[in-house]
Formats: sequence, structure tokens, C-alpha cells
Amino acid sequence: MGYDIIEKVTELSLSGLRLDAKLARAARFILDALPYEQCVFYILDPDGKAFVKRAFAGVDKALICSYGATDGLPGLVKKKKGPVEAYKLDTASTVWEGVNDAGLKGYKSALAYPLRDKETFFGVVYLKSARKASLSKSKRRTLGIIALQASSFIKCADLAESHERIHRDLLKIEERLASSEKLMALGDMAATLAHEIRNPLLSIGGFAGRLKKHLGPGSPGIPYVEQVLKEVVRLEKLMNGVTGFIKDSAVSLKPDDLNGIMEEVLALFDDEFKAHNITIQRDFSEGAMGVAADREQLKIAFDNLIVNAIQSMEHGGALRISTSHEGGRAVVSIADSGGGIEPGNLGYIFNPFFTTKTHGTGLGLPITNSIILRHKGLIEVENNPGVGVTFRVTLPYLRQLRSAC
Amino acid sequence: MRKRILVVDDEEGLRLLYKEELEDEGWDVELAASGEESLEKLEGDAIDLVLLDIKMPGMDGVEVLRRVKERWKDLPVILCTAYPHYKHEFGTWASDAYVIKSSDLTELKQTIRDILGKRQ
Ligand SMILES: Nc1ncnc2c1ncn2[C@@H]1O[C@H](COP(=O)(O)OP(=O)(O)OP(=O)(O)O)[C@@H](O)[C@H]1O
Ligand SMILES: [Mg+2]
Repeated sequence: MGYDIIEKVTELSLSGLRLDAKLARAARFILDALPYEQCVFYILDPDGKAFVKRAFAGVDKALICSYGATDGLPGLVKKKKGPVEAYKLDTASTVWEGVNDAGLKGYKSALAYPLRDKETFFGVVYLKSARKASLSKSKRRTLGIIALQASSFIKCADLAESHERIHRDLLKIEERLASSEKLMALGDMAATLAHEIRNPLLSIGGFAGRLKKHLGPGSPGIPYVEQVLKEVVRLEKLMNGVTGFIKDSAVSLKPDDLNGIMEEVLALFDDEFKAHNITIQRDFSEGAMGVAADREQLKIAFDNLIVNAIQSMEHGGALRISTSHEGGRAVVSIADSGGGIEPGNLGYIFNPFFTTKTHGTGLGLPITNSIILRHKGLIEVENNPGVGVTFRVTLPYLRQLRSAC
Repeated sequence: MRKRILVVDDEEGLRLLYKEELEDEGWDVELAASGEESLEKLEGDAIDLVLLDIKMPGMDGVEVLRRVKERWKDLPVILCTAYPHYKHEFGTWASDAYVIKSSDLTELKQTIRDILGKRQ
């Protein structure tokens, strides 16, 4: 008979049922085998503050939905780290051994078992009877085994959940990786195309310039030729941007100091910061910050971010540049007060040719992204609409540089 | 004496453009359509400066640059290319100047003027 219920509960553990359904059936089996009328599974919530009813079977008299972590018999079980058994003569009372538990109202005996494994306390299984119930030693052992099995249900469900979460995260990362690979392939294609276009463009523009000279001032053809020249300049500017998608072989990584690189980039903008009334706050980490860098390219990458920041603060603002070392990564963050990005645009800013500016080419961020990716780094955006944007670039941190400097 | 410039580019249109524009500035211009042809021309004529395209079929500009500098150490060479990032690449360091191809030839002309001026 004792084995009977153990067998049934073990079968449950192999079923594909969800946790709540498994516990509800286990509660039913317990009531079938033992002299109680109500069986409730309470589980401690993740922050450990309360017991929450997950499943029950039997009558719903004085059925409590949740207890504080130190309240009632569940709290007592947690405190004692073992089973608690209650017998009352007065069924109206809700107090037992100084513990107030509204769930005891109308019952004469109650029994609560801990659900736990070696390290973790998951909750309690709580049995009540309106009569005086007592269990033989072997039935107590059986109940103990069932409590253990129920604990394993809970643990399995936890594991399954975190497994699912990891799987979801992995899918997300995979998606991002695929799109960055696509971006690189697109970049290489664009660079080739740009090169093929540049010579004919030079020819068109150059001869249009010669035509202009031959037409001489005042000729009615001049405006037409000038239009051609203007468009050529525009296309050439675009091509210069496209060739910024540099081929893989072109990055040559050498140990370098990220703080030094940032200082050098910032120095280029001194005049512009003044001209636009932008105040600079530097929060650099102490000493050198080692990274494997293609210095010229990293400068282009940060240059683009700073140009964007300045463009968002044409009429003044504050730019905060900080560098720090976080768990094996070197982090640079560039925060502006330029009002941020329209939320609807946020998903597109890394796409080639996406721009909201009249004279933008929309290549700044994709170029920056491809350079950072080639440095095995990552670029993240934190957008505060109406306030500003923070771009966070993380690169692998090189420890060696520290000792070398 | 008028200075003589050798323009090396595999595109006919660009050769013509450079020739006319540079002649307007008062220089003599010789043309070569390939790296090989440019070396032949250099053997024959007295050249004061070479304007060299990097990307050409056959012998490319970097190779021409290497050979020119081996034989005529002091002959100035300006590299022209569509790729801005060649700038950082090994092999181009030996050139006297580096110009990114653009339909606005002002920068190119100024660079030529600077280099030829220095050697007078
Ligand atoms: N710091 C910022 N604040 C507000 N919006 C930004 C910021 N950085 C980028 N953006 C938005 O992202 C878009 C794309 O930026 P990206 O640098 O790729 O191109 P662009 O600046 O428009 O043109 P380009 O950089 O080629 O001159 C911008 O047009 C702008 O809308
Ligand atoms: Mg930009």
C-alpha cells in the first residue's frame, strides 16, 4: 500500500505534465492514501518572501492562498527545517504552539512536511484533518519520500525553465550574429561596388568640369553642368563612406591603450565642442586600458559616434565619455544629451543608408558596428527619448598591457 | 623648363582627363596604360614625377612603385586610388604622396605643385 502511492508519484515524475498538474495529482494520491481531507502544496517564491499555493486537493475549507515566509505552519517548518505536526482540542482556534495560522481553523490535526533538497528549501506540503489523525511510522516515511519526489518535480521545473531561458537567449544571440554577418557581406559587396563606380564617376565629374571651362562664363549651359558636378560630388561622398566597410584582412590588431585612443579622438573635436557649446566630462579608468586594436580604425569607429553626438547637440549640451573595466571587458560609453532617438527609428539605426539627417549618408553607425565587430567587440545603445543616447562599446580586455605599461 | 609628368592608369578616360587638366596647369604629360608600359616609358623619357594608379590588371601600382624606387630613388611618385584604406597598408609607405581619386582635382594638382616645387 505504501509502495502503491510511491509508484504512482514516480510515474507522475516521468509524465509530461506541467508542475501544477503534477502537484495536484500528487495531492490527490496523498489524500487517497492518508487520513486527511485537505492537501496543499505551498512553494516559496523566488525572492523568498512568501509561500504561494501552487496546487491542492480535497475540501477547500480554510484554504489559505499565501503565507509570509515566517508565518503559520509553513513558516514554522521553514524555521525548524523539519516536519511540524499539530493537534488541537479546540477546532475553532487558529493558534498552535504560539503560531497563528488561519488555515488551522475548523481542523483538529495538521501535518506539514518540508519540500527541499540538500541545498534549497522549496516549500511545504500541508495536510489537514477535522478529525484526530495520526500516522504510523511507515506512513510517515512514505510521506517523507513523496515530499522528496515533489521537491524533485519543483527542481526539474526550475531547471527546465532556466534551460528554456538560455535557449531563448541563445536564439537571440544567433539572430544578431547572423545579421552582423549579413552586414559584413553586404559591406564587402558595397566596397567592391564603390570601387567600380568611382572611376567612371571621376571621369564624369572631371569632364563635366572641363566642359564648364570650355563653355565659359555666362553660357546658358553652365547651370546644367554645375548640376552634374554637384551630383557627382554627392555620389563621391557616398562612395567614400561605403569604402569605409573595410575588408577583414585590413584589421591588424596590436596591443594598445583604449584611454589613449579616446584622448586622441576627443582632441580632434576640441574646436567643435567649443563652437557648439558642448561640455565634456571625462570619466576615464585609472592607468592604461589594454585592448587589441587597429588604432586607425577604432578611431574611425569612435569618431562616428562622437560626430553623431555633436550633431544631436547642435545648440549645446553635455557629452560624457567614460571608460571602465568590467569583468574581462574594456568598456567605453559615450553619453549625449541630444534628445535621443525616436523610438520607432531605434531598430534601423545600424542599417546601411538609414539616416534622419538632410545631409547624412547613414553609414556612420554601420561602419562603426563593423569595425567594432572585427575587434570582437559589441556595441549597445541605451536610448532615453527626450533626454539623450548612450552608446556602449565593449571590447576584450588585454591584461598584458597593464604590466607592460 | 617644363616639368614632365607620367600618368599611369588603365582607364582611357581618366588618362585623357589627367592629360588635359595637367597640361592646363603648364606641365607636360606622358601616358602609360599599364605598369609594364610605364617602366618602358621611364627608361626612355626624362620624367619628373609619376602619377600612379594602384589598381591595374597585370603589374599593379604597388609593384611599379617598388621597381621605380629601386632604380630611380629620387623620382617622386604619387599614388592614386579609390580605396581610402590603402593608406595604412604596407607597400605604399614608400610613395611621396597618396591621393584618393576624386573628380575634384584640386588636391591632386596642389600635391604635384608641392612636390615639384620642393625639387626645384
Ligand atoms: N547620438 C545620437 N542622437 C540621436 N540620434 C542618433 C544618434 N546617433 C545616431 N542617431 C540616429 O541614427 C541615424 C543613423 O546614424 P548614422 O551615423 O549611421 O548616420 P548619419 O549620422 O545619419 O549619417 P552619416 O554618419 O553617414 O553622416 C541618424 O540619422 C540619427 O537619426
Ligand atoms: Mg553619423
